[in-house]
Amino acid sequence: MRQYELMVILDPETEERTVSTTMDKFLNVVKKDGGTVDNVDIWGRRRLAYDIKKKSEGIYAVVNFTAEPATAQELDRQLNLSESIMRTKLLRPGA
Amino acid sequence: MAKPVVRKPKKKANPLKAAKVENIDYKDTALLRKFISDRGKIRARRVTGVSVQEQRLIATAVKNAREMALLPYSSSAR
Repeated sequence: MRQYELMVILDPETEERTVSTTMDKFLNVVKKDGGTVDNVDIWGRRRLAYDIKKKSEGIYAVVNFTAEPATAQELDRQLNLSESIMRTKLLRPGA
Repeated sequence: MAKPVVRKPKKKANPLKAAKVENIDYKDTALLRKFISDRGKIRARRVTGVSVQEQRLIATAVKNAREMALLPYSSSAR
C-alpha cells in the first residue's frame, strides 16, 4: 500500500455541484481494491495559466488516497479515458 | 602592478528559511512565483540564493505546476 496524491482538472462546462459525486464514482475503484480515500479537496473553478483544449478555466480537485500501485495506475487510466477530465496528475508525496 | 580586484560574492539570505517553508509543494503557487521571472522562467540559483538541493526541488515543483496549468510555461509580457 502506498500513499498517493491525485490532482484532476475537470471540464469547466460540468456543474460544480456534481464534481464530488463524479469523483466518488471514480474513486470507487480504490475502495473496491481495499484502499482508502483519505481526503478529497475540491478547489472549484480556477483560471488556467494557459488554455487546455481551447478552455481557459477548469475545475480543480485534489485527492489523497492509499492504495496498491496497480490500483492507482488503473484509476489514472480510467480518468484519462473520461471526456469530462482535461488533465490528471498522480504523484507520491515525499518520493 | 595593480592589485587584482578580488570580488567577494555577497551571501544571499535563503528565502525559504525566511518564509519558514519545509515542504516545497507544486500546489503552493504563491511561493513558486517568487522563483520564476515575470516571463515565467525559473530563476537561477545565484539569483534565488537557495541551496542546490532546494533549487532542484523548486525546479521540479515549478515543472509539475506548469503541467497542471497552475503556472505558465511562458508569459509574453513585453
